[in-house]
Amino acid sequence: MQTLNLPSYLDQSPEVAARFSKLKSRPLILDVKHLNKTFHTHTTLNDISLQVFRREFMCVVGPSGCGKSTLIRIIAGLETTTSGEVLLEGTQVSAPGSDRGMVFQGYTLFPWLTVKKNVMFGLEIGGRSPVESESEARQWIDLVGLSKFENSYPHELSGGMKQRVAIARALANNPRILLMDEPFGALDAQTRCKMQSYLLEIWKRVDVTIMFVTHDLDEAIYLSDRILVLGTNPSRIMEVIEVPVPRPRSSSQFLSPEFLATKARLEELIHGPEEAEAMPLPKIRLTHAGDDVE
Amino acid sequence: MSKGKKWLVPFGTLSEPRQLILLWISFALPLAVWAIVSYVPFVWHPLVKIDDPGGVSYFTRDALIERSTFKAENAKLAASGGHIATGTPANPVFLPAPHEVAVAFYKSFTTPPKRKGEKWLHESLWQSIQVIFWGFLWSSVFGVPIGILCGTFPFFSRITEPFVDFTRYMPAPAFGALAVAVLGIYDAPKIAIIFIGTFFQQVLVIANTTRKLDTSLVEAAQTLGANRRQLLFRVVVPGISVDLYNDMRILLGWAWTYLIVAEYIGASSGITFFINQQAKYRIYDNVFAAIIIIGIIGFTSDRILDWIGRQIFPWQKGVKKSLLRAILDRRRNSTQNTETANANA
Ligand SMILES: Nc1ncnc2c1ncn2[C@@H]1O[C@H](COP(=O)(O)OP(=O)(O)OP(=O)(O)O)[C@@H](O)[C@H]1O
Ligand SMILES: [Mg+2]
Repeated sequence: MQTLNLPSYLDQSPEVAARFSKLKSRPLILDVKHLNKTFHTHTTLNDISLQVFRREFMCVVGPSGCGKSTLIRIIAGLETTTSGEVLLEGTQVSAPGSDRGMVFQGYTLFPWLTVKKNVMFGLEIGGRSPVESESEARQWIDLVGLSKFENSYPHELSGGMKQRVAIARALANNPRILLMDEPFGALDAQTRCKMQSYLLEIWKRVDVTIMFVTHDLDEAIYLSDRILVLGTNPSRIMEVIEVPVPRPRSSSQFLSPEFLATKARLEELIHGPEEAEAMPLPKIRLTHAGDDVE
Repeated sequence: MSKGKKWLVPFGTLSEPRQLILLWISFALPLAVWAIVSYVPFVWHPLVKIDDPGGVSYFTRDALIERSTFKAENAKLAASGGHIATGTPANPVFLPAPHEVAVAFYKSFTTPPKRKGEKWLHESLWQSIQVIFWGFLWSSVFGVPIGILCGTFPFFSRITEPFVDFTRYMPAPAFGALAVAVLGIYDAPKIAIIFIGTFFQQVLVIANTTRKLDTSLVEAAQTLGANRRQLLFRVVVPGISVDLYNDMRILLGWAWTYLIVAEYIGASSGITFFINQQAKYRIYDNVFAAIIIIGIIGFTSDRILDWIGRQIFPWQKGVKKSLLRAILDRRRNSTQNTETANANA
C-alpha cells in the first residue's frame, strides 16, 4: 500500500543511536517481571515484562481492550496482579503511593479545592507545612502556566487547563514515574497538540520518567523515546519500538521519513492485514452509497 | 432577557424572574382553589346556614343544616302554609374560608389559651421545634458518621446495614409505648421517636450517597499518597458534602412528619396538642392556622438551609458569587498577598 520509499523504522541516525545507548545505560526506574492479570476467566495481561529507564518517555499503544489501562493501573497500585511483580527502583510495589503519580483521562481534580489547593494536596498530606506547600505549589502552577487561575475552582477551567493542573498536582509530589492514561483523550485536536508540546517542555525541565497510554499513533511517536505495543488475543507485547525521530521534536517532523516509517510499522502491528479483512461489512445498503465510489 | 425563550425546556434553566413568577403561582393556585370553594356558592356548599328558623322547630339561628333536609322541611312548610325558613349556602365547619383562617392566624397568637395550664400557640410551636431539634441532632450525631463509614468501607456496610435495613421497616410509633416506659412521659420519649424515625433512614441514605462518590477522585488521592484517614477526611467527607447537606435537608423534612406521632406519645404536647384541643373546641380556623404555620416553618427553614448551602459550597457549578462569599474571598486574597509580600521581603 505504501508507495513511498520509506527507510526502515529500525534505521537510526548516529545521534539517535547514541541517545538510545545512553538511555539504556541509565538506572532502571521500572522493572515489570512476568506480569499476569486475569479478570474472572479472561486473561487481560499475559506474561508482560518490560523495563523503563530513568527520564525515559515511554508510550503504550495497542488495540482497545488490550489491557493498557490495566497495566498502568497495576503499576500505580490501583489494581492487584494475578502473578508477577512490579519493581520501582528495585522495590516491589503493591499499593498506590506518592512515588508514582497518575493523570487520568477523566478530570479528577478535587472540585471542592481551588487550583492551588489541588496542587498542594499531595504536599500537605505528605506532611509539608502549609507555607512550604503553598510556595512549592505556586512554582508548579507557574510551570504549567496557570498562575492567574490559582484561586479558581476546577469547574471554572477548560478541559486542557484541568489536565495541566492535574499534571502539576502529580508532579508536585516529586514522583519517580508519572503514569498517564490517555490524559488528552477528551481534548479537541488543537488543544491536544498544545498539550503535547507543553508536556514535552515540562518533561525536559523536570527529572521524571513518563509512561503514557494513548490511542493516537502520532501522539505516541511525537512524545516517546520508545513505544510499547501491546497485542490482544492472545495478550502479548508485540514490540518495543525505539522511535528513530531525533529530539527536540517539533510538529514539522510529522512528515519526516523516520516518522512515517515508524507510523507505518505501528499501524501494521496494531491493525494487521488479517484484522482488516475480518472486519464484517454492514449488511444494510445505504442509498446510492456505491454511486460515488465506483 | 428571557424574551423569546421557551418556558418548557427539558433540563433547561429558567431566568430568575420566571422562577419567582412560578414560585408565586405555586402558592397562588391552591389558594385560588380554596377561595373558589369557599366563596363561590354553587361549587360545593353542601349545607345551609340558617338565618331565620321559620316554622321548623329544630332549626336555630346560625345552625348548619344539610341542603336536602332544609329543602324538604321548607317544602313541608310551604304545603302546610307555615313560615318558611331562610338561610345561605355554607361549607362545613371543617372547611373555613381563607379570610377566617387569616383572622385566626393573627388571633391564635394574640388570644390566650381557653383553659389555664394550656399553652399559647407559640409556646406549643417552640416545644415542637425543640423536640425536632434534639431528635434530629442526636440522630445525626450517630447517623452521619455511621453512614459515611458504611459507604466508605464495605466492612462497616456489611456489619451494620442488614440490621439497619431490618429495623427501618418497623414503624417508629411502634416503639412509642416502650419509649414511654423507659423514658417517662415528657419530651424524652418524643425525642426518641424522632430519633428512631430518622436514624435508620439516615444511615442508609448517607451510606448510599457516600457510595456514589466518584471513585476516580479516591484513586487520584491514593496516587497522591493519601492514607485511609486522609482519604476519609480529605476526600470522602468534602466530596460528598454537597449531597450530604441536601440529604440532611430531606431527612429533616421526614423528621417533621414523625413529629405528630411523637407528640401523641405520653403527655400529648406541642403543636399536636394545640391542634387537637382546637379541633375539640371545633375551632377549625385555628387548626388550619396551626397547620399552615408548620408549613411556613418548614418552608422557610428549608429556604434558609438552601441559602446557607450555597454560601458554604462555593465550588458548585452555577452558584453565583454571593456577598458573603465575596467578602470571604477578599479576606483570603488579602492574607495571601501579605504572605507573598513577606516572602518577597
Ligand atoms: N475491573 C474489571 N473487571 C473485569 N474485567 C475488566 C476490568 N477491567 C478491565 N477488564 C477487562 O480487561 C480488558 C482490558 O481492559 P483495559 O481497560 O485495560 O483496556 P485498554 O487497553 O485500556 O482499552 P481502551 O483502549 O479501550 O482504554 C478488557 O477486556 C476489559 O473487559
Ligand atoms: Mg484504557
